[in-house]
Amino acid sequence: MEWNTTQHVWLVLGCFCVAFAPRLIPLLFFRTRKIPVWFNEWMRYVPVSLFTALVVKDIFITPDYVVSIAGRAPEMIAAVIVIGIAYWTRSMAISVVLGLGAVFLLAMVV
Amino acid sequence: MGKDIAKSREKLPYWRRILDASLPVDLSYIPIGLACGILLNASGFNVWTTLMVSVMVFSGGAQFLIASLLATSAPMYSVILMMFFLELRYALLGSSLSKYLHGQSLGFTALFAASMNDENYALNYLKFSTDKKFTPREALHVEHMTLVFWTISNLIGSLIGSAIHIDLTIVHFALTALFLYMIVVQLKNGLIILICILSGLLAAYFMVLTKSTLGLVISTLVASFIGFMVEASIRKYLPNSGLLRHLKNPAGSPDDVDE
Repeated sequence: MEWNTTQHVWLVLGCFCVAFAPRLIPLLFFRTRKIPVWFNEWMRYVPVSLFTALVVKDIFITPDYVVSIAGRAPEMIAAVIVIGIAYWTRSMAISVVLGLGAVFLLAMVV
Repeated sequence: MGKDIAKSREKLPYWRRILDASLPVDLSYIPIGLACGILLNASGFNVWTTLMVSVMVFSGGAQFLIASLLATSAPMYSVILMMFFLELRYALLGSSLSKYLHGQSLGFTALFAASMNDENYALNYLKFSTDKKFTPREALHVEHMTLVFWTISNLIGSLIGSAIHIDLTIVHFALTALFLYMIVVQLKNGLIILICILSGLLAAYFMVLTKSTLGLVISTLVASFIGFMVEASIRKYLPNSGLLRHLKNPAGSPDDVDE
């Protein structure tokens, strides 16, 4: 099926709605209500859990949702390098730039 | 010495401070945004619909998914449904930032929500949790700065179309590196490291099980809740446990203001 521009516009509007609602509703809910202490304590573990999940998805999960490490050696080695760089330098920019450089070089070699 | 650095930063114009704060994401958005624009162009989006999608959806993962689903002949409702599951994790981002955005106006909250995504959330969460002076207004401008870089890269990608070939998996590693950095700076004690490992295993399990990024949402909810429960139990029953002891930080960056 070939989509035309009008359909693309509707698609984007639909995607906007489903993308906007989950972003807005929690912020809206807690905008005026008092946030319970236990909820804040729970949410403190959200970033680290979510980022780990995203990294696992990026490195170990294929686009059709199967666990695989085939051909992922450059990313895995580069990930270890990034962890080391992040640990020692605590610099986001250096970690990202050197990580990207590492994966680029490793992809040529491995 | 730390104070001198802080002082010289104060002197920078406002937009420069926002640019500095958002730079790692801005820079990694350039190759990824170009690639995304090229793919959207290849799947039939013109410059205007590309502009629309990058401003209104503003999510690398979502836009790559749109591009790849349009290449197959998926019906519109199924694309939107998959998008919904993909974007559901933003509910977690909003929840975990809510304590910093408490009491903001309705308009601000809506505007902030509209341009929040994984990457600028990572920047803002780190800023909020380490810099007491960081304001919601600055966080919004960090979002908009990343949005500008993303949109322009998308548009350029759309315009140059299929003239260049970009290896997506390599470019995408910029974001993986960003998330790895975010994990490392948050590893403050043994328990967080354990939760991290648990979250990684659960993420793989639930993503394979659900065949979608809904697995990300489930694993994050479960792992973070376990972390919270274990921490509460340790504080109650084993107050001297080494699990919550602060790990050494070789770079000596500022302590978390939450504590």
